[in-house]
Parts: sequence; structure tokens; C-alpha cells
Amino acid sequence: MAQEVEETMKRIQSHKGIVGTIIVNSEGVPIKTTLDNTTTVQYAGLISSLADKARSVVRDLDPSNDLTFLRIRSKKHEIMVAPDKEFILIVVQNPVD
Amino acid sequence: MAPTVNPKTAPSQLKTKKADKGKTDDADADVEQYTRTKTLQKPKDQVELTDSQLKEIIAKTLTSINPQIPESEVEWSYAQMEFVPAPTIGHMVMVFRQEGGLLKKDSEEARQQMIEMGMDPAELDMESVEEEQIEEEEMIEEEEMKGEEVEGEGDVDEEKAEGEEDEKPPEAEKEEEAEEDVEGEEVVVKKPEKKKGGRPRKLTNLFNFCERAALTTTNPSRSQETQTIPPPMATFSAVVTTSFVYDSYMKDWCIQEAEREREKREKMGLPPKQVIKKTPQQLHEELQSRIFKSARILERMINQNTYVEIAKDYRYWDDPSDDYRVEEGTVLPLWKFEYNKTKKHTVCDLEWNPHYYDLFAVCFGYLDYSKPVGGGALCLFTLKNPSFPDYVCMTESAVICVDTHKKYPFMIVIGLYDGSVRVYNINISCKEPAYQSNSVENKHRGIVWEVKWAEDLTDGELNFFSVGGDGKVNNWVLMQGGLAVTTIIELHLDQAPVAGPDGTTLKVKASICCIKLHPVNPEIYLIGTEEGSIYKCSVAYSSTYLMKYEAHQMPVCQIDYNKFNTDIFISCSMDWRIKIWEDNRLEPLFVFDIGDRVGDVKWAPYSSTVFACVTSDGKIYVYDLNVNKYKPICVQAIVSKKKNKTTKLAFNYNLPIVVIGDDKGCSSVVKLSPNLRIPCKAPKKQQDLDQNTLQLMKLDKLLAVLREPSTLILPEDTAEKDDD
Repeated sequence: MAQEVEETMKRIQSHKGIVGTIIVNSEGVPIKTTLDNTTTVQYAGLISSLADKARSVVRDLDPSNDLTFLRIRSKKHEIMVAPDKEFILIVVQNPVD
Repeated sequence: MAPTVNPKTAPSQLKTKKADKGKTDDADADVEQYTRTKTLQKPKDQVELTDSQLKEIIAKTLTSINPQIPESEVEWSYAQMEFVPAPTIGHMVMVFRQEGGLLKKDSEEARQQMIEMGMDPAELDMESVEEEQIEEEEMIEEEEMKGEEVEGEGDVDEEKAEGEEDEKPPEAEKEEEAEEDVEGEEVVVKKPEKKKGGRPRKLTNLFNFCERAALTTTNPSRSQETQTIPPPMATFSAVVTTSFVYDSYMKDWCIQEAEREREKREKMGLPPKQVIKKTPQQLHEELQSRIFKSARILERMINQNTYVEIAKDYRYWDDPSDDYRVEEGTVLPLWKFEYNKTKKHTVCDLEWNPHYYDLFAVCFGYLDYSKPVGGGALCLFTLKNPSFPDYVCMTESAVICVDTHKKYPFMIVIGLYDGSVRVYNINISCKEPAYQSNSVENKHRGIVWEVKWAEDLTDGELNFFSVGGDGKVNNWVLMQGGLAVTTIIELHLDQAPVAGPDGTTLKVKASICCIKLHPVNPEIYLIGTEEGSIYKCSVAYSSTYLMKYEAHQMPVCQIDYNKFNTDIFISCSMDWRIKIWEDNRLEPLFVFDIGDRVGDVKWAPYSSTVFACVTSDGKIYVYDLNVNKYKPICVQAIVSKKKNKTTKLAFNYNLPIVVIGDDKGCSSVVKLSPNLRIPCKAPKKQQDLDQNTLQLMKLDKLLAVLREPSTLILPEDTAEKDDD
């Protein structure tokens, strides 16, 4: 399974317009990244807190509901976030080019 | 004052005492007289004593020791926490005590008293008592004056006190001086106090009184303190939200549920359920699979962004020019699906998943026998991820055909070029097949051209049919241990046995190219052969077929039952022709000459009169018999004519899209324009009919023109009746 994950992540990275991928563990520490150090730390910190907030929004509106994915579209990028209890997967894509 | 008063009172007291004595004497005499006359009354229990006894003298002695005093009396001492001997009272007993008020004038005590009063004892001898009194009053006045002054002023006090000292008699002075030697300056302050202390002794109160104070023993109070270990403290802060409350309740509910379950099991006498704890290894696996799933969805998102234009076309774009063109339509190319490892392979079969509308299976193999390609693959693509197949099953041999189970969309069977069949359970593994035919005995002696899942057996076992180049139709049952095979039929050509090289004769086998199971009747199936014939067979008869259609001159590539009327089926062949047949009718209803080898033909799932085919010059042809019985309503090149050939196609069950495979390993998805999928309009009189009936009616109406009635019924001759 680990090998498949590895392959998928490699494939994602090879897609068109991908800026970077980050895997953050449950403590908010980036464990795998393709971006430089500062950007990674920034993304990991900010996105994990945003994901927490987003989850609490969804959960508070309906406690039986849960957050599954989060997409943030900005002028320059699209940040796609897959939040989980034990990890957060972040992919930054530049969809224009 | 005391010496003056006491002498007066004393004689009066004596007088009264004397008077009392006289009275008592008289009373005694009276009593004597009274007792003599009358007898004495005695109490009954009085002890009678004899005279001698009465006269006996009982000696009474006086001692200086009080026998009443208890010896060795003890009392409790709280201080020492034990009994200690109490102080003895002493042997003296005070019976009466009277303080005398008289003093001898020349006694030392009287002198002292006078000095305290401030009189010179020497003068007393000469002066009379009256003078003494006057002087005394004066002195008191003086003293009072001085006392007031002393009390009022502190500083002046010292000087006046010194002046006073001069006036004092030498004896007093001596005493005071002696005191001064010891105490020094303090004496100066004390002097006025001493004089003041003299004043209450004037005994202004004539009544004798005493003040008595008693103090009980007080229990000593004691305070004792202990300190316990302080309980551990922790700071806790949280925001309570709806979700938090919900989670807590759910947790509690789970615990209660488990408890109830446990009690139930206990009541039934079963051992408590064993909670299987997951090993770290399993947890890790679970986490990995979750990451994998998330990553896959993210990949789909990325693809959605990348192919956003195509996605919009796919969803919303309908060719507007269709409104102006009648009886003609177009197809809009959408995504192209490719897999790096199978770029040289030919798409040998295509099939949409019956359960997931966006998933389709593609077989990669080769059909050009002069240019074999190593290996093969089964890939499952989804429309949501055009860049990479969701599932890949690599095989050593070319994959020719595929079928997905209707009820279990994860069970996929494939037929291989080498004659073997495999069943994959893609839920479990794509790498290893769940079932695999024996590579030596249980296999086709030729290419497996088609596999089809059959209805499940009565005991729920899955089974499928396969046809191969060796002329056999095999039925495979998925047993616990593996695949169990039964040969349903072995087709031979209808010609005399051919003489073998060594004198033996053998029947020439028919090579089966395709099979189609009847959609309603599970016993009936159609098979097409390389010789161009179509056989209608039944599972019940293993030696012979039910019917034979002399359909084509070249191998039959595909047979397909109409989706609405199961009596109608279509076939295509390498001989450039497409034919539409009706069950039990040897002649075809329609024949279309396409002008190139037809790789595949399929009825559309949405219409009873629409079918599409692909040819080896890379074109798709779409016919709608209801619109045009002679010409296709759409002909469009999908791939380059020079380089590629289109081989297979498949209609999606829900969406107006078709996937087309070519010989360069590429599957193209095209969208049908509105003209190619016109729904049936209900006639005005029969508005309540559903689409299914309408489609059937449409086809019947169309076929009615072509069908020759099986028996002609002559209309009744009405003329003869009239004659009668």
C-alpha cells in the first residue's frame, strides 16, 4: 500500500500546473513535501488550522456531518486539502497554465 | 476614724448580750417546771439504757491532729498529665474569727497608722480628740488639694512632691530615702500614689463587706492543626460546541450499547465478546489506505481543474447546429484515455461498469497476428481521472475480452490470448487474480474471444461462459478451491470429416468468435463463428444447436441483442456488412454495407432504433432507423485514418456518451449530439405511455413494413353474403 501511495503522490506531482504537495501529520508537522522549507511550514501551519476551523463549522452546523475535502480557489492558485484525523494532504495547483 | 467609732459601739453590744442572757435563764426555769409535771414521751426505737450505762463516762480527748483530713489526697494535673498529691489543708480548724477594731495608741501599729494619716504621733499626747479631728480635716483638705494638683500636672508634680517631702516626718523620710536608694528616680513618681493609697484607709464605708472571687480551673485550650496533601490541580479550558456535545453523547451511547450487549451475552450464558485489538501494523495499513484514497481524490480534483473545459462540454454543451440540421448529428470528442505501458497495444474490448456510470474497463492486447506485442493489461478508467487508470491488472498474455458482473461490480472476468481465463476481485487485489484457469488442462485451445457472466446458480455460485478459437463454449463456476469447468457445446462444421495425414479422419471444428446470452431467457445464447455463421444454441442441449443463420462471409465480430425487443439482434462482420435479424427468421431484416471492416456494433441503450458501429478506417457510424433506413445520420472520424483503426465501442448506460477504442491503446470518449438521441414523443391519444413502450412501438412500426406476414388471412368475402 505504501508503494501505491508513493506512486500516486509522484503522479500527482507530475501533473500539469502542480506547484507542490505536502503531507502533514496529526501534530501539524510536515512530514513530506516538495516545496521549500519556509513555504512548507507556512502552508502546514495555516492550512491545518483552517482545516480544523472548517471541520468545526461543518460539525457544528450538523454534528453527524463531517468535513471530507476542502478546496480554496485563489487568484493565483487552487489549494486542495484532504483533511483526516491523522494527516492532512495539501496540493497546490496553478490551474491557469 | 475606726478608733473613734469602735469604743462607742462595743459597750452597747455588751449590754445587749447581757440582756439576752437574762432572758435565757428565765426560759430554762420554765422548761424545768413543765417537764416535771408531765411524762416524757420517747420515741419507740430509743435505746433503753441502764443507769450504769448512762453513768458511764465516755472519755473525749482533744488532739492537735484533725482526723478528718484525708491522707494522700491526689488531684489530676493537666500540666503533667498525671495525678499529683494535693496540698494538705493543715490541722488547724477555725471555729470563730473576729477582727478587732481597737488599737493601742502607743502601739507600733497605731503609730504607723498615724504616720500614714500624716499626723505627728508626738503631738497626739497633748491635743484633745476634738482638736485632733479638726486638724485632721484640715490636713485632708490640704492633701486633697495637693492630690488634685499632682494628678493635673505632670511637670510640676516633681517639685511639689519634693517640697512636700520636707514637711514629712523624719521617720517617713527615712523610709522613703531607703527606698530611694534602691529604686532611684521611680520613687519620686510613687510618692503621690502612696499618699493616695492612704486615703481609702479612712474607712468611709462603715459596713463590713468582703469581696469573694472564685476562679474555677480553666481547661487549657489547645489548637492542633494538620495539613493534607493538596489534591492535584490542572488548568482546563474548552469551548463547548454542538459537535463536542454530540460526540460525547455518541461515546456514551456506544458504551451503553456495549454494556447491554455484554449483559445479553451473559444472560444467554455466552462468554463475553472478545474485543479484537488492532495491531500497529494493521493500523498503519489502514492509515496508508486512507492516505491512498485521499490522494486519489486529490488527483481527480487536479484533473478536474486541468480538464475543466472538457468537463463543461461533457456536462452542458449540446451542438446548437443540430437545430438547423434535420436527420443529422455529430459527436463531440471529449477525453482521451491512455496508459503509458499500453501505448502499443490494441484496445480489444471495452465495457462500462454496470454499477458506476463513470467507470469503464479496457482490455489491452493485439489483433494483428503478424505484429505480436508482449504482455497485456486490463485497465479500469474513470471519467473523473483521464490521466491514469484507477485499477491496472497486468497480465503476461494479451487480454482479449472482459465482462463485469452485474451484481458484484468488482468481479471482473477476462479472457486471454493464450486461452486462459482469469477472474479479478479488484476490491482485494489487482495484482493477483482471484481465480485463474489451469494453464495446461482447463483452458481453451485457442484465443478466448469472449467471456460473459451468466445468471448466478441457485446456490449463489458465480459462473460465466467463455468461447474460444477451439470451437468450445465453456461454463466456469467459481468454487471454493478454484474454477470448475464444463464444456457446454463443441461446435463442428457441417462438412464431412477431413482425412488426417496418417489416415485418421477428424471433424473440423468451428472457431467461435463471439457469444451473446439472451437477456431474458438464461438458456438461450447466440454464437458467431469465423466462418460467418450465427448459431442459436441452448444450454440444455450440448450436442446440437437450435438454429443456424448463414449470416456473413467473413468472421462475425459482434452480435448484440436489441435493448428493448429481445427478438431483434444485430451482427457485424469483417465483410463490411451489418445485418439486423429477427429471431427464427433466416433472412435478415436490414443489411447495411459500410464500406470497411466493421469492428464493433452496438444498440443504443436509450433508443430501440439507434445503433452505432466503428470501422477500421477510424470512423464511427450512427444509424437511426426511425430517421433514415438507408443512410447513417452521423459519420465522423475519431482517429487518424492513416495511422489508427478503431476497434471497439461501448454506449454508456446513463449518459449520452460513447467510448471508442483504437489500435494504439487509446480510448476516446465522445458525446452524442441531440439529434442522435431524440426521445420518443408520445402520440396525443396515448400520453400516458412510458418511454419503454413507446420505443417498442416505434420498432414494431418500423418492422411491420419489412416483415412478411407468416400467414395471410383473406378478408371475408362480403359479396356472396349479400347475394344470399
